[in-house]
Amino acid sequence: MKTRTGRRIALLLLLGSTVVVPVARAQVKHIEMRVEGMT
Amino acid sequence: MKQHLGRQAGVQKVDVNLLDGKVDVTPKEDGQIDPIQLLKATYDSGVTVAEMELTASGKIVKDSSGNLALQVELNRSFAFAPNELSKGLEPLAGTQTIVTVRGQLYKKAGKKKADLSTPLKLLILEVQKEVQKKE
Repeated sequence: MKTRTGRRIALLLLLGSTVVVPVARAQVKHIEMRVEGMT
Repeated sequence: MKQHLGRQAGVQKVDVNLLDGKVDVTPKEDGQIDPIQLLKATYDSGVTVAEMELTASGKIVKDSSGNLALQVELNRSFAFAPNELSKGLEPLAGTQTIVTVRGQLYKKAGKKKADLSTPLKLLILEVQKEVQKKE
């Protein structure tokens, strides 16, 4: 029983360490234009 | 126009809405997109740009004249048109904080043709989020 709990904790720790955290990145994300004279 | 804009550097997708004259441009993640170039390309395709808004993330920097700007690439930054929102970002100048803002880069004034020879200023409309970047 103790071994099972230990394994679960180890698995949780492993997953926790590999979760990808979104990195803040400098970039232009979106551009919107309003145009006139388009047919 | 859609094809013309789609060929510009850094453009991933262009959506054109003929009904309300809205053009949505989705940039690639390569950071090559140049909004000023896009503005010129739109004029070249024979339509008039009434307004351009963009959403961008970057660091707050001060240029050589002491004006605040959003630096989105090493060699690309947008100077802010001063308003209350830009003043609020002043304490972040020179820090590693990445700020996401939505702002107006261009608005047509009357019937005058756009003067794209002078640098355009970004009028911040909304500060969306600030994230402390880890070194």
